[in-house]
Amino acid sequence: MTIAAMGSGSGGRIPVKLHKRVCLVVTEDAVLAEEILARRKLAGEVVGRLTERVLLIRPGRVEAVLQELQKMGHTPQVAGKSA
Amino acid sequence: MNAEADLDRVRSTLECYDEPLLREVAARLARPRNQWPRDELIRKCLEVLENPPVLDRRLAELPDPARSLLAIVFRSRQPEWPLASLFELLMALGQEPATVGATIQDLFEAGLLYPVLPEQTTRFGSFGYWMSTATEGPLYVLVPRPIAGRVRPPETDWPELGERLALARPLQADGLDWLLRLGVLWQQVRGMPFRRTQGGGLFKRDVERLSQDGLLNARAADALIAVPDQGFLLAEVAERLGLLVPNDAELRAVDLPEEWNEGLWSALSGIVPQLFRLSDWGPVDGYRPLSNHNQPFASAYLLVLEVLRNQPVEEWVAIDLLQDWIQERHPFWARSGVRPSQRGPWLEVFLLGVAWPVRLIEATRHEESWRVRLTEWGRAFLSGQEPPLLPPPFPKTLLLQPNLEILVYRQGLTPALLRRLTLAATWKTLGAACTLALEAETVYRALEAGESFESLSRLFEQHGTRSTPPGVLDLMRTWANKRERITLYPTATLLEFASARELDEALARGVTGFRATDTVLVVASEDQIDFKHFRLAGSRDYGLPPERCVTVEADGVTLSVDLSRSDLLLETELPRIAELVERQTSNNRRIYRLTPESLGRAREAGWSAITLENWFQQRLGISATPAAKLLLLAPMLDSPRLRRLVVLTVSDSALADGLEQWPITRPYVVERLGPLSLVVQQDRLPALREIATRLGLRLPEAVEELPG
Repeated sequence: MTIAAMGSGSGGRIPVKLHKRVCLVVTEDAVLAEEILARRKLAGEVVGRLTERVLLIRPGRVEAVLQELQKMGHTPQVAGKSA
Repeated sequence: MNAEADLDRVRSTLECYDEPLLREVAARLARPRNQWPRDELIRKCLEVLENPPVLDRRLAELPDPARSLLAIVFRSRQPEWPLASLFELLMALGQEPATVGATIQDLFEAGLLYPVLPEQTTRFGSFGYWMSTATEGPLYVLVPRPIAGRVRPPETDWPELGERLALARPLQADGLDWLLRLGVLWQQVRGMPFRRTQGGGLFKRDVERLSQDGLLNARAADALIAVPDQGFLLAEVAERLGLLVPNDAELRAVDLPEEWNEGLWSALSGIVPQLFRLSDWGPVDGYRPLSNHNQPFASAYLLVLEVLRNQPVEEWVAIDLLQDWIQERHPFWARSGVRPSQRGPWLEVFLLGVAWPVRLIEATRHEESWRVRLTEWGRAFLSGQEPPLLPPPFPKTLLLQPNLEILVYRQGLTPALLRRLTLAATWKTLGAACTLALEAETVYRALEAGESFESLSRLFEQHGTRSTPPGVLDLMRTWANKRERITLYPTATLLEFASARELDEALARGVTGFRATDTVLVVASEDQIDFKHFRLAGSRDYGLPPERCVTVEADGVTLSVDLSRSDLLLETELPRIAELVERQTSNNRRIYRLTPESLGRAREAGWSAITLENWFQQRLGISATPAAKLLLLAPMLDSPRLRRLVVLTVSDSALADGLEQWPITRPYVVERLGPLSLVVQQDRLPALREIATRLGLRLPEAVEELPG
């Protein structure tokens, strides 16, 4: 059954498709995303581009992507970590 | 939490027991009235361990030495002990050596003590056999905390070694020295992990780092005694504490302990149990890797602390008196043939160099020797009682200077502040006033651990004796802003809605997240989602292997995606290698087609024959189709040739084989085309015809022309 087929009544439960444990890189702007895609080592880890600012990363390659971004001089924040 | 972890380990161990052994243990622990299956027996055993009244009855049935052993082990708060240490403890407590093994075996059989088995173990058949393998390497046992914590020990005659000292001036540590040094070690290892040799020791470079580093090894101004190889001692404690974790051939720094945020007692309560698990460091020789030479000391430390616990609160004990008492009873020293060096002043190093900085004991000088007694916290920790109240800290305790140096006065330092400073700056000097350096990398490290520019500014304002210099604030803001440019979500959860309107409705209900597209909301972690608002139309876990949800038609290039099973990886990946033909068919499928142009784009993005093959295997469960390979690989292969050939076709493959093999005819054959067909040289056809005639084969005079 598709999400659209399920529909939602007003105030009822909203039908959603859940995508768990997805690895993403979100950039401030599209140019930065282009810069990442132009980096050969990173392009190999990018499975696709969800939007012009959101890149989908190959599962299990977070560390490699983080290290490569740092090598490029970026200081990415990692979401979902607490102090 | 700790109790649950111990019970999980008990469950795993029971699952390894062979059935007869499991039934034997369950018969004593759970006492089932029926013949239950394995899983049920394990469940019943665990129920007993979680049922205090029943557990108390089982423990009350144990003989005195077994109860004494469990009770004293519980004092350590360390559930995992070397088996040999339990033997030593029982003998030191007065049990006859000949019966010690039987007492321990009885505890195993009663389900109150468990062997620590290697991870790969699937079967375990005998406690006796397992104990007999101790000669091959040290064995460890698990004393689950829910069990040991409920034991009522029998009356024991502890020696009265203490005396009241009217003019004693107690010296007590602030308990921060080890936390500071562990923070220094954490920073160093985070910058450059330790590397391990194949034998398990440290590389020479790291041995030198640990032995020569000034901050790790310097004797504190208020230290009572020098500790040999202090850097190695801290490294081993850090590893036991989980501050450093093995990763391949390295030892890496992970997150600083959360308990440090809960105050001094909580931080020290994490460290003390690790002192009983040291194996590479001992108080006599310092660091001796892989020798397990701390063996006699773990049990000796515990006995010492238990003797001190049984002295009147106000009384002081002379260290040499205590060491003599231990050495008379502990089997390691009581045996004959102990070298004089092994009888050296090891206890002074442990008590003044290890137990004192972690505030287990306080000390005083009397008649040219050291006297010790447990601190109020040390007594509470060992007895399992509430810790004493600490005086309120001075919040204003640091000075952040324009040159990015931080001066911290130790009086106001708390483990929580120490932890945050360890993340945000680099320790430079330790003492009554410590200094740190604030740098771009350290600020980034703190931001990565969850701090923000605002939280760091508040930290320095809250604890600073003066306002933070504006220049420093500007620099921190610049560093933080740079970091805002890219966000990495390692394990995000995406909610995909049917329409933008429904996504808006979810946001209106308070669901928080980042809107990636009109219909997709990104949430940093699944824990942040309140599922009462949602009805799941599908769920896909990207930590699992990709799902096979694509089929290919007979043309080898038309791909049909099952939308009910597809995922984002596929939906973003496919447009890179194929053209969209139909967005959604009536049977909920999406159609793509592989074309020379689409696979040309894939080729430019780095797709190879192997990538294509892997993708087909993952998504279709078959090899890449020949047509797909053709479209991807054609430009990468040598140019094809067009030739006119004379083809000799025979009636039997054996004849073709013979022509190809016989040395007389072989030079005339250019290429074998199939079982019956050979390409032959056109200009040497007359000569071949002659040879064929000699063989009795008649080749036609003219070459047939193909129609068209």
